[in-house]
Amino acid sequence: MNVKFLNPFIEAACEVIMTETGITLHRGDLGLEKTPYITNDITVIIALVGMVSGNVLYSLSNETAIALASHMLGEKFEAFDNLAQSGIAELGNVITGRASVKLASAGYEANMSPPTLLVGKGSLISTLDRPRLIVPFTSDAGPLTIHLALRDGITTPISAAHIPVPNRPEI
Amino acid sequence: MNVKILNPFLEAAAEVLKAEIGAAPIRGALSLQKSALTTDNVTVLISIIGEIQGVVLYGMSKATSLAIVARILGQEFTEFDNLAQSGIGELGNVISGNATVNLSKAGYNATISPPTLIIGDGAKISTLDFLRVVVPFDTEMGRIVVHLAIRELEKDSQVTIGALVASARVSPNSQLDL
Repeated sequence: MNVKFLNPFIEAACEVIMTETGITLHRGDLGLEKTPYITNDITVIIALVGMVSGNVLYSLSNETAIALASHMLGEKFEAFDNLAQSGIAELGNVITGRASVKLASAGYEANMSPPTLLVGKGSLISTLDRPRLIVPFTSDAGPLTIHLALRDGITTPISAAHIPVPNRPEI
Repeated sequence: MNVKILNPFLEAAAEVLKAEIGAAPIRGALSLQKSALTTDNVTVLISIIGEIQGVVLYGMSKATSLAIVARILGQEFTEFDNLAQSGIGELGNVISGNATVNLSKAGYNATISPPTLIIGDGAKISTLDFLRVVVPFDTEMGRIVVHLAIRELEKDSQVTIGALVASARVSPNSQLDL
């Protein structure tokens, strides 16, 4: 994975969390993993397509999610309900959006998908042939981890997926 | 949800499954769901970006996924290993890719993200404010459920603004008529 993709996300995460919740993030040691990611309580999944292509995963525990949502929306959440869910998804959306603006100014334009939320600990998320760069953060609200499974994309997205599938030959 | 953006996916799923698996899949009844999706053993997640936005999920059991990759790759699988995972990911990729070709014929340009695989049942996937159209396909290898949480983003908002402008124009005229 291109290291140029990393900094926009680190900067965007720190800036957005600070603006939205007033909480400072502290970055931990980076890691690189090829094996599937075993999910924490909550995972926000956002895809990027363009000159950068792949997925960004935001992984956090229930407690962190509730604390962040409470700070962000200004009310105390007891459970990770629908409103808290959309708050956390929006947080992922804003961080990725800000990162993609930074990526674009570095010459890598990409479009992003709407967020998808995965709730449930212990599932496996495989990004297949894309290794994940892992960026852990700690904060007063609890730990938050960003997984970047990105690679250089192509500007005109023509892939094998666009070629019509021939019929299975009779054997 | 607009049928024009659903049909490309349903056609692509039927075509690709027929070409890859050999037997025509039988499409079950469509339903519309708002609640979070509880995952089956294997879920392929692909995002759609462009004039159509959202996410498409392909859910199936482990047995179904193993039977499908065995057929596609022509070898027996007992474990859902890396090769099997990438085979199932590719199946979702090809269905979605074909669907975007069909979509562009219908006048919508969209691209797809690389596939992501979610393994493990019982997790909940929320597409938030996107409604899901759920379409089961029954094949001889088992059931594949396609979840379409997609919508036309920009065109919708243009219509809304257009309708607002139109109504603003109409009201003074109708007062004049009175």
